[in-house]
Formats: sequence, structure tokens, C-alpha cells
Amino acid sequence: MRNQGLDLYLTPDPLKESGQASVDLIRTLAVFAEAPASEHIHLWKTLGIEDSPSASDYADVFLFQLYPYASVHLGSEGMLGGEAQNRVAGFWGALGRNPPPEPDHLAALLGLYATLSEQIGLVGNSSGKPPRFSEAETLMIHRGRDALLQEHIAPWVPAYLERVIEIAAGPYRSWALLLDKVLRVELVRAGCPKQLPLHLRESSPLADPRTDGADAFISGLLAPVRAGIILARADLARLSSELDLGLRAGERRYALEHLLSQDSSRFLQSLATEADRQAAGHEHRRELLGITADFFLDQAQTTSKLLRQLSEGGAKITAETVS
Amino acid sequence: MNDSTHLSELNQRVSAAKAEVEGRGETFYPGASRIHLASFPPRERWNDWVELDSKSWPDKVEKRYMLVPTTCFNCESACGLLAYVDRETLQVRKFEGNPEHPGSRGRNCGKGPATLNQITDPDRILYPLKRSGRRGEGKWEQISWDEALDAIAGRIRTAMQEERHEEVIYHVGRPGEDGYTERMLAAWGVDGHNSHTNVCSSGARSGYHWWMGMDRPSPDYSNAKVILLVSSHLETGHYFNPHAQRIIEGKKNGAKLIVFDTRLSNTATHADHWLSPYPGSEALIFLAIASWMIREGKYDREFVRRWWNWQEYMEVVNDKPGASFENFEEHLREIYSEFTFEYASTESGIDATTLLEVANVVSTAGTRFATHNWRSAGSGNLGGWQVARTLTLLNALLGALATEGGTFPNSWNKFTPRPPRLPHQHPKRWNEVTWPREYPLSLMEMSFLMPHLMKDQDAHLDVYFTRVYNPVWTNPDGFSWIEMLSDEERIGLHVAMTPTWNETAYFADYILPMGHASERHDLTSYEQYNGQWIAFRQPVLRAARERLDEKITDTRQVNPGEVWEENEFWIDLTWRIDPDGSLGIREFFESKKVPGEKMTIDEYYSWIFDNSVPGLPEASAAEGLTPLEYMRRYGAFEISNKVGRVHEQSVPDNELEDVRVDEMGRVFSRAPTPPSPKAPGGTKIDDDEDGRRRVGIRVDGEILKGWPTPTGKLEFWSRTLYDWGWPELAIPTYIKSHIHPENLEDDQIPLITTFRVPVQIHTRSANSKWLDEIAHTNPLWIHPTDADRIGISKTGDLVRVETELGYFVIKSWITEGIRPGVAACSHHMGRWKPEGHKGQRLGISTVALNQEGSEWSLTPRKGGEPFASSDPDTMRIWWTDLGVHQNLTHAVHPDPISGMHCWHQAVRICPAKEGDQAGDVSVDTGKSQAAYEKWLAMTRSADRYSPDGMRRPYWMLRPVRPEREAYRLPLETEPAKV
Repeated sequence: MRNQGLDLYLTPDPLKESGQASVDLIRTLAVFAEAPASEHIHLWKTLGIEDSPSASDYADVFLFQLYPYASVHLGSEGMLGGEAQNRVAGFWGALGRNPPPEPDHLAALLGLYATLSEQIGLVGNSSGKPPRFSEAETLMIHRGRDALLQEHIAPWVPAYLERVIEIAAGPYRSWALLLDKVLRVELVRAGCPKQLPLHLRESSPLADPRTDGADAFISGLLAPVRAGIILARADLARLSSELDLGLRAGERRYALEHLLSQDSSRFLQSLATEADRQAAGHEHRRELLGITADFFLDQAQTTSKLLRQLSEGGAKITAETVS
Repeated sequence: MNDSTHLSELNQRVSAAKAEVEGRGETFYPGASRIHLASFPPRERWNDWVELDSKSWPDKVEKRYMLVPTTCFNCESACGLLAYVDRETLQVRKFEGNPEHPGSRGRNCGKGPATLNQITDPDRILYPLKRSGRRGEGKWEQISWDEALDAIAGRIRTAMQEERHEEVIYHVGRPGEDGYTERMLAAWGVDGHNSHTNVCSSGARSGYHWWMGMDRPSPDYSNAKVILLVSSHLETGHYFNPHAQRIIEGKKNGAKLIVFDTRLSNTATHADHWLSPYPGSEALIFLAIASWMIREGKYDREFVRRWWNWQEYMEVVNDKPGASFENFEEHLREIYSEFTFEYASTESGIDATTLLEVANVVSTAGTRFATHNWRSAGSGNLGGWQVARTLTLLNALLGALATEGGTFPNSWNKFTPRPPRLPHQHPKRWNEVTWPREYPLSLMEMSFLMPHLMKDQDAHLDVYFTRVYNPVWTNPDGFSWIEMLSDEERIGLHVAMTPTWNETAYFADYILPMGHASERHDLTSYEQYNGQWIAFRQPVLRAARERLDEKITDTRQVNPGEVWEENEFWIDLTWRIDPDGSLGIREFFESKKVPGEKMTIDEYYSWIFDNSVPGLPEASAAEGLTPLEYMRRYGAFEISNKVGRVHEQSVPDNELEDVRVDEMGRVFSRAPTPPSPKAPGGTKIDDDEDGRRRVGIRVDGEILKGWPTPTGKLEFWSRTLYDWGWPELAIPTYIKSHIHPENLEDDQIPLITTFRVPVQIHTRSANSKWLDEIAHTNPLWIHPTDADRIGISKTGDLVRVETELGYFVIKSWITEGIRPGVAACSHHMGRWKPEGHKGQRLGISTVALNQEGSEWSLTPRKGGEPFASSDPDTMRIWWTDLGVHQNLTHAVHPDPISGMHCWHQAVRICPAKEGDQAGDVSVDTGKSQAAYEKWLAMTRSADRYSPDGMRRPYWMLRPVRPEREAYRLPLETEPAKV
């Protein structure tokens, strides 16, 4: 397993800030990233969200539009699993925990964050009793929590939530707004990272179809860490509607290929505008995320530039060729 | 309100809600979760659990349930189930996993939830039936339990009074319980236990037994570094779910998985190294690996020196008493030198480089080497018992036995508690039909040979019970079974105890409806990890009603129709056999609390839970429950979760009294056997000549518990095999299979039949509509090159498969998932009922059975189709192909040592002929006698080879062990020269 990112946090005084997080709230918000169950209804109500989501709401947001996995957003393939998931699983292992079946699922990451925060709370409450954790364990918990936040949550969750807020309606929009607020508090507490997270250091740039082929280019557009943008089905639907192009039913890649083959130039232009729009979001997060937001801003701007060049150069991109 | 305050307030709200729930002693955040919150209904809420009613969707209507645990009855894993009993109707609405069960941990395969199909099966047998026509004619009348019990009890009583105990036989499929029935048979003094094990797992068991004195493996997969499976246990095998989940855990922790399977099974698809050897060559591959490890010194010398019986081997075989361990090592290298990778490659068809690669992986495992053989090669081949034996050789070389991540013997990971009123007597008479002298070393009863043995011995059975077992369908040579069961001169009375119609029940005199998983009491424990647990099967509606303060005295009060459970049935039957106690058997079924009264089920299990399960009384008391209430509430209890190296444990001082240590280091003591909460069982090692019992073995000056073998050590060399006529097989070695290429005609290929389809479980699951929809047929796997050669153009083409006895017609499945030159067909599927019979419709074809002399045929008349019933789903059946009953065409192949039926077949395959239809079967039972005699000729009978005038080595395992004197052979036999 490669460096898990813990080395970023070898600062001399990590115990200075006890960091009492909203543990129960975070855990509740984590549960909401899972398929809704009847047992969750009272939790939604407790948070003042009266309409609990249906299975169909859940499927639309998490299964069709915005996949809640770090590997999708931080892996060079933009797909589930792979090296990005291995890095997250390795992180669980580095904390001495067995990785769950989907270690990089948002719920799993938030759950782990809540657990570590809870342990920090216990450290803080051990006055008068024998310490619950050794000094080394305490150090590990603090560093582990911050590393989790900076390495595996901050690089994708804020941008992801921004897209949920745009695309989802009803309870999941409320959930995303709330979780975004909670994370902002945690991110402010933790401060900006001093080194670029490993996922980002390991990522590849967006492929240029003129040198690398259309296939690699299209794959890269759907990998947020390479393109700097998150392209959901809803985006493709919106853009195709704006350009009056036909949207083929199918996977995002399939739909994207067909949109490009119908009118490459206009669609590339339209994608460039979308990249600019999402770049603005990264710009807003620079103060909060520091070099992490810089990275994504740069990716999105580079993508925008490439798309415009291709559009203006009259590139014709189909599923397999570029001319 | 700013963000920070708002969030803080929300957090406090959730925390307050959480505190309130936890203050009630309950669990917050119920529901499935990936974030380490509660994944199952918290147990404190089992009494009143609320879920939304799925049928009311999209409305959100709450349903209230009582969750009552029980144990699955569909395979031998005994996984925990939770029955969701609707509090309004008191009906079971569904079954889910029981998270309190240490083996299955709340996770189930499809067969567990499908219990719901079984209990609601519209065609299930609800009342006792008695045949009203001739046997097998299909005419039945409903009778009362009293009538059935009196008739059966009367015959057994007479048999006992006339000293014909051996004419009562109880033939059992997978028992699904521990000890109750064996206790009952011991109480009756009847040597009538007849298990199905010789068509199942005797081969592998035998291999383990020769090494360890215990007959099953219990691999610690979760902690293994290397896992080696000879079978398809991960997805499709026995003990499916508890093992599968731990294999995956092991893999997640970095273990390498090696799978030996000629087919690309689901298990093989998960392997890091999949080896598809020519069937029957597996043992040779293990020997080649062992030979390489020995040559290269890649073994645990200290373990071998301490724990193998190498001194005995060197003394007896090599006439070198006092030989050094180095002498033995030199000898070991020499005797295994012939087993090279090149030789193994020639026999198996796997190149030597791959074998070396796998050997390297094995050699890196150290003591974390978890291995398993159950059926597969162990049950397919002549000499298949050497597969488990040579596999264990690898474990024994690495010292990976009873270690974390290694392979344990089953008995150390299983707990069978001592029951009340344990019978002190043993059967006086030996049952020659089940334990024939030609097979003195067979691990279990020679049950599948019954039709032939009955004929050979001109035997008669007065009362023959088949209990949740279906030999006509399951065993080879089923038409011979029909001939035997139809003959009232041979079988006086056949009683079929079954929840469901089956092919054997058609030939019964009485059919007694017994309950499914949620309708009966049983106690179970199985080896599934390095720990010990017990699980309680119970009639869930009885437990539910008792929670509502109803008094239930008989399980029939809550079961559908007049379905009963076996345990109450046996108590009642015993009282009718011995109403006044004069036969001396009633006493074992009398209450201890109220002498002279029948023992109740509650009293029986209360006694066990109070007295024989360490830790349970304390755990129960902590919850304010009695042990019985605890088990009814939670369904399972873990006794220990780290067993460790029992053989290395010191013998306690209080067991060492007037000790004698013999020349082999075996330690004998006059100290009495200390009381144990476990039921007695296992091997029986003789006392020394002065009556001291064996308590352990001296190793490097320490007195340790050792292994339950004659030497107290791991028996690399078996004196028993040596003395009983098999000196050439006394060490782990290679036996060429009956389907070895040398034994095949040019136009024959091997047919593998010993594999399952993932969701079916032999004869028990055809009445499960969900499972049938997933899997309902068993096509012939054939490689494209073989299909080309034979002239099969596409998948689905009909082929005729010719065996020794006849042929069957089946659809082909052309696939690269099978080794070229080998065909395969699962032994599942092909269930049938004769035309004109009532009975089950789901998953069952209607067939014409025709007999002319010894010529039999089975011709399907009707396959699967929709039908009207109380279950609307039966009108939605879309599948028609129900497979073929191939076992009818298999001749008996008893291994001369293990007694295992060697399932692999040598067959000829050709395109179907004109008039053939899928499912056709044709057999000449005249040929089956010849096949039986051919295999019988390979045996070395106790008559000629017994070294001590006994029928069987006394130390070997045996269910319901008869008196020592019953082991003695009749006097006229002569010892043979070996």
C-alpha cells in the first residue's frame, strides 16, 4: 500500500485542539447517504426535515446522478474501485480497522469520521479516570481524523454536495445543505492542508483527444479528478436540451459519445461553459480548502481551455475517432 | 441563528433522542448500515419490532412483529434464522438472519429465507397417512397419530421381545441435530443407525480420521494466509454460508485462495490459483507438493518430530527401533521421491511449472494454512479418501493443525452437550446389513448398499424408518431401492418421516409429517471457526404463544395441520413400545422431576442448558432469564471463541494417578474420567492391560493431551490399515481412480456428478418456489472440443449419456468452464412422482415408471407448469425444464476401505436418438448386481483379514457403538495371511 497521507500531519502539537465535533449529527447525516429505511424517518424529523426520502428519491440522486464514492471522484478512471478505493481501504487499515465492504462510500467515511471524533471526545472527558487511550493512540486518533478529512473527504465531498444541492430536490437537497455546513465547520477547524492530498498527486491529467484518442478523452471528462468537473446525467440532459441535441438513453459515457458525435463543436463549447461554471465553485472554496481547491480550479480551467480549443479547431469527435 | 448554533442545536437534538432510546436499553440508529451502527433489529426490540408493510406501499403502514429465533434445517450448517411473527395474526411472515448466532452472524444464503416457502407449501403433508393399496400404488388414507403410533410401536415391541433388535433401522439424511436420535437408539438397544454419509462425505472423513482420530476439518479461514479448497465450498458447497463468509474475510485480509475443481465453479472464480486437474489426480498433486517441501526442507521439523508417529513407523515398517528423527527424515524423502511434479503433471494435465508455483504459495503459509475437502474429489474416486489424507499431509508438514489460521479437527470446534438420562447400555447385536464384514474399515454405515446386502444376506427388516431422507432419489441405483422397498418380504414396514413428498415416501406404509425449521426442536453445533457454539431450533409459534402466556404442551398445537416434531414423537413412541417399563427403555424418557411421567421437551432442554453448557446459566442470569428462556429468546450461545492447540495442553494433575507410560510414550492412569459437560463420543482407545485408561502422551518429557488416535499422535502411518490387510496404503499415498484413463475404454470419458447448484439442497428444497425459480435444471457441462467430437452443435441439444446400468437423456451446455475430456452434471434436480400419485407439484415432474423384469424406464409425462393452489405464485411458474434424475443410472461403487460411494462415472456420450426426450432414463438392474460384485471383489473382509477376530477396529468412530462382545466375528472365520 502506498503512503496513506498520514505523513501530512506530523505536526508537533496535534493535541492542542480537542476538536469536539457534532458526532451524532454527522453520524445521522452519514446514515442518510444510505438507502432509506423506515427506521430513518424519525431521524429526518428530528433534524426538522419533515419529508423523508423515498427509495426512488434515493435511487435518482445516489444511483443515477451523483455517485457517493471517493473512488469515483478521486480515481483517475472515474469509476468505482481501483487504486483510489485501495488507498482509502489502506487508510482504514493504517488506523487498525478492517475496511468495510465499501470503504470509500460517503456514509462509511462520515461514519469513520464520527467514530474518530467520538474517541477524541472520550479523550477529552477522561479527567479523574485512568486515560482511555495511550498518548500514542491519542496522537493517532487526532492525526487520523484530520488526515481522513483532508485526504479522503475534503478533495471531493464539498464539490459533490454543491452538485447535489443543484440537482436534487426535497430532503436530499436539505441533507446536502446541512452536511455542507457541518463540513465547513470541520474544515475550518482543521485548517488547509500543507501538502496536496495523495489522490490528487497520483491523478493523471485530462487526455487530449488529438494525441491520446477520443476514448481516453471521453473517459477523462467523466473522471472529476482529471477534468475538475462533475458531469451528471442531469447535466448532459440540460446541455443537450439547450443545444436541441438528442440525448440517447444509456450510461453517461454512451450519452456523451452520442452528443459529441451529433455536433462536436457546439457541444464542446457548451461543456467548456459548464467547466467554467464549476471552476467558479472551486474558486469559492479556495479559502476553505487551500491547495486542494487550487488543484481542482486548475483542472477545470485546463479542461475549459482544451474544450474551447477543440471546438474552435473544428474537432469532430466520435466514440472512437477524432478528426 | 448562526450556522454554528444551528448545528449545535441539531446535534443536541439527535443526542437527546439517542440518549432517550439508549436509556430504554435499546439501540439507536437501527436499520441496515455500512457505518458500524446496528445492522440488525436490536435484540431488545425483538419482542415488538416495527416495520413498514411492503404490501401497503406506497402508504407507510406499520406492522408489528415478534422476532423468534430458530435454526435453518436446509443444510447442515445450522445457520441462525429470525422468524418474523406477525403479532396480529401470529403467522410467520418472513425469515431473516439471526445476528446472535456465532456461526452465521446474521448472514444467510437463499435457503434460509426460503423456509417460508416450505412452511406455506400448498402441497405439504399435513396429516399422518397410511397406504390403502399395495405398496407404491399411490393410495393413501388419513389416519390419527394414535393409530400410527400404536401400529409402529407394536411391531417394534414385538421385535424387541423376540430379540430381533437388528430388524429395526433408522435411515437418516443430514441429521440437522446432535445426539437426540443416537441417544434414543442407544436407549432402545438397537444398532439401527443408518446414515447417508457414505454417499456424502465418508471419503474425506475417512482421510481425516486416519490422521487425527476425528473425521472433519474446521479451517480457520478468517485468519489464514493461504486457503486451499478441494471442492466448491465457497459458493456452492456444504456449510455454504458460514464458511463462505469467512473465506471472503480471509481473502480481504490478504489470504491467497487456491481452488482445485475440474469445473469453473463459483468458488473457482474467486481463486487466486484455480487448478482444473483430471479428476482423481488431486491426491497425487498434493503428494508432489509434499515431496517438494520435504526435499527442500520447507516444513516444520519440530512439529513433525513432536507430533507424527514416526517412531512407530520406523520400528514396525523399517525394523529400526530407536531410529533417529534424522533417519526418518531421510526415509521420508526417499518414500515420496517418486511423486515429482512431472509425474503429477502427466496424471493431472496441469503443467509442472504451475504446480511448482502453487507449491511455493503453500510453503509460505506457515501455520496459517486452512484447507478443506468435503465431497468433490474425496467422494468421486476410488481411493478418494486419500485426497483428504494427502491434503492433511501438507497441513501436518507445516504444523498448520489446530493453529490460528490453520485447520482444526471438528471435535475441537464443536460442542455437543451431555443430555439427561444418558443410556448406559449398548446394543447387544451387531447389524450386519449396515456394517457388513466385507467393509470393516468403512467410516460409516454402508447404507447405499442396502438393496444388495439385504439380498446377499437374505435379510428382513421389520421396521424401517426413513427420516427426512430419500434414498430412491439420492442414492445410486435407485431402481434397486424401489425393488427392495416394494418387497414386503424384505421390508416389513416402511415409515417415512418427512415434511414433504419424496420419491421414497411413495413406497412407504406410513407417512408421518414432521416439521420444517420453524416447527421443531433440535440442538445443533457445527465446526465453522475456532470456537464452539450451540444453536437451538424451536417451533417459533410455540415460543411466540408462550411469550403471550399461552401454555403449549405439544408442538402439534401450533404447527399446521397435525405436523409434529420428531423429539416429542420419539418420546411418545418409546412409551408405547415400553408402556410398563419392562423392556428397560422407557426410563430414559421419563421425567427426572416427576418420576413415572413422560419427560417433556422443556424439561429435556432445560436440563441440558442448566447443566451441560458452560457459561450459559451465568449469561442467562445476567439477563434475568432461565437458560431455556435465554435460548428461546436468542437462539444460540457461544461457549468459547478460542480453542487453540488442545493436543499441546497438559494433562491436569488430578488425572494422573498411578501412571504408567508405555514404550510409545502413551500415558495411562487410574484416575477416573472427570465429569464432562460434553456428550460422550469419539474414538475409544483401549485401556492398558491393568485397566488404566489412556489420558495423554508424553512428548519431550511433558504429559500432553495429544490426539484421539491409537498412538496419541498424528498418524502418518496407520497401524490399523497395516494390520487389517492394507499395508501398502498405510501412509498417505496415491490410488488410481476407477475413472483413471487406464480404466476407461477409448470412447468413455469421466462424468463428474458431485456438485450442487447454489441454492438447492438435494431432496429438501424442491418445494421452495423462490429457489426453484433460480435453479431448476441440471444440464450436462461439456467442453466445445468434446461437443465437436461427439457431434453436438449447440447448447440445449439433447444427448444420451450411457453408464454401466443404462442411460439418461439430458440437455447439453457447451462451456469452456469444464476441462476438455470431462463432462459434468449436478446431482441436484430431476425430481419426479409417478403418474397417478398425488403429492407435490412444485419442482417435480410427473413420470411413467415401467418395469419389465430387470428392465426399468422412467419417461417424463409432464414437466414444470403453472397450477392453481392456495398460493397464487404457483400460477406464475414459467419454467418447464426440471432436469434429469441421473443417479438412477449409476451403479454402486463402494470404496473398499472408506466405504464411500465413488460417484464419478465412466460414460459414453452421444447425440440423442430418435424418440429420446429430455429426462428419459433407462436402466437394467440386472447389471447393478454385477457392478456390486465387481467392487465387492476389491474388499479385504474382516473374515479373512481381521487380526483379532473382531468385525472392526474397536477404536474407530461408530455411531451408537454396540457392546464390545458384539464386535466379535462368528467363530468359523479364519484369519488370512497378509
